[in-house]
Amino acid sequence: MPFDAKWEDYQRMALRFAESLDGSEPLAVARAYAGFGRRFAQDRDSLPQTDADRAFHLVATATDLIDYQLPFATDEEAETIIPHAHRVLEEAISLDANCFDAIRMDEASRCPSFESYYVFLQEREPEVRAVCAQAREQAAKETGDSSTERLELACALATWPHLRWLAMMASKALICGRNRETLRFCNELLDLDLNDNAGARYTAALAYAKLEDEQGLDQLEARCRRLTQSSAGTDAWMLIARLALAHRKRDLPRARQLVSKLIELYPQAVVALARQRELPDGVFSRLAVPPFSEDELILALSEATVLTQEGRDSLGKGALGSWLLQESLAHATRAQLDELDDVIEGMGPLGTAFMGGAQ
Amino acid sequence: MNARSELVERVASRRRAELGSLSDAGYQELLEAVRGDVEHFIDSPEEEAFLLVAKAVERESAARDGEDLLDDNAFFEARTRRMARLSRDCDEALAIDPTCLDARLLHVLAQDQDPDTTLGPLLELEQTAIAQLGGSPMPADAWTDVRLRPLLRIKAAVSRSSFDSARYRLASEKGEEAIALSPSDVLGLRHTCALAYARLEDETAFDALDVRFSRQGSAWSHLGRAILLYKLGRMPAARRAISGYTRLVEGGAYALIKPILIDTYLPDRPEAAPLSFQEATLAVHEADPVICDVPDFVGWAQGIRDVWFSAQDFANRKGFDW
Repeated sequence: MPFDAKWEDYQRMALRFAESLDGSEPLAVARAYAGFGRRFAQDRDSLPQTDADRAFHLVATATDLIDYQLPFATDEEAETIIPHAHRVLEEAISLDANCFDAIRMDEASRCPSFESYYVFLQEREPEVRAVCAQAREQAAKETGDSSTERLELACALATWPHLRWLAMMASKALICGRNRETLRFCNELLDLDLNDNAGARYTAALAYAKLEDEQGLDQLEARCRRLTQSSAGTDAWMLIARLALAHRKRDLPRARQLVSKLIELYPQAVVALARQRELPDGVFSRLAVPPFSEDELILALSEATVLTQEGRDSLGKGALGSWLLQESLAHATRAQLDELDDVIEGMGPLGTAFMGGAQ
Repeated sequence: MNARSELVERVASRRRAELGSLSDAGYQELLEAVRGDVEHFIDSPEEEAFLLVAKAVERESAARDGEDLLDDNAFFEARTRRMARLSRDCDEALAIDPTCLDARLLHVLAQDQDPDTTLGPLLELEQTAIAQLGGSPMPADAWTDVRLRPLLRIKAAVSRSSFDSARYRLASEKGEEAIALSPSDVLGLRHTCALAYARLEDETAFDALDVRFSRQGSAWSHLGRAILLYKLGRMPAARRAISGYTRLVEGGAYALIKPILIDTYLPDRPEAAPLSFQEATLAVHEADPVICDVPDFVGWAQGIRDVWFSAQDFANRKGFDW
């Protein structure tokens, strides 16, 4: 399960609520629980919460603004969304100086280059690690005698900001062209979190493909089979990584097989593969999208531009990007060709063959 | 490619074989005579075709020199005409000798397609060349046999097209194959390999290559090392490496900060003096796909005092834009 700020906000509040009911009569507990959902949604302030919980709620609000509203906003709307999100994050930090999600998200827009953001993340990582580890210990102590489930959740909630920090370092390292560094962070994430909520396996797959390390990719796939929730090797990231490797080895039949596989597994894949949209990366974490949805493929392709856009080519889409565009158009139906009109037009003479199909 | 001198060698070595035993001094004399009027000695379709290739390469290079002052549109028009002419010249040579490997290589390159598209025909041509030349015994260094040089040129083109189409492992494999065939590596495939290893963040292979060539150092190896260390996140070492590149390669910093357009190699890399500014412009041009993949690299390098001032100083001395 990818990180979801709203759900995490809910989980934090539910945990706090459960703690507050310790020692109450069972009937009273049952009654209180029945009202929790409504109070969370409508009367949040009436629930028990710490400043850290309030700060995280603001993180969830900012995530919604930056990661889910901003990409679809008009320029005019963006002008109000951005300062609003900043205010929300600053307030979160003022409530909780150790609200690392807010600190990380706030800094993302202040850094002029990938490099400077990466350096920022790198410099503060030891502090984030130490504070989160301490918070985890504290949480374990406080919830020590209650249910395992509650203990696990309390510990997880304390650790997640550090995992997101590392995951952001991994994804920025990938963009900065530091693939071995990316793998170092991803491997650490996979060691720390058996569920791989951060989706380190996806970033790692792209990094192995960048290093043209097929053995590394095989080992990653084997490792992912042991994860509790995993589509083991058939997710879009892994398939795109394999596709890139086949293309780089110039094993074009294999690369074509993988294009077909993506088309088979993902709805509207032809259009996504042709368009190769570039989306802004999630600032809180990788966007939460349903597995094997059209959105998941679009997201994976957007992250995979580090692979597709490499090399010299006349379309400006990179060697693999251009090849993928032409291959996917060969799979397109007439309606899809019509939908991709603008893409085909941008191809110049290379698009002529497909224009015929659209008419 | 110095096609005319290769033609002289081809013709002279054929004559030597025909004449039977010939002393070294005798061969030198023969070489001189052939050099004086090579066309007079030409005596086979192979040599005739190769002469056409030599002329085509010379014509192409002369046409290129005349394009320096053209504006962008005029340049690209002239370039298209130049490529079309080269392609026709190759057709002519191939009509006389369909096995002329250099004509076939230049013909593929003159189609001026994306490297991803060019690579297929180049790989096929490599197989053809191996089949064509495979029968003859291999000397310790293939470069010493003028008839084997086309194979090395084809491998160099395959390696570069692999590199330019983002296939770094293939680029280095083809480069290593060529170096194994010709350890003197006159065509400089080690430079493509060095950049590929830097891109693949393979420090072991990068160092092993450097050692094999006695750590001679070139614009490619110095730049490649800086990229490699930057990618590995070893920043103090990367800073030392980029300073080293700046200090050892004339105008290296300027070439990195202000890259210039370099046209397709037809068929191979133009000659440049070791560690010269011209070598730097070639290295930066070739490294471009790798530099683009490290988006903040140039910005980082510019931020280093030595690099910035060296570039500025070079521009002032040469009267270049800054």
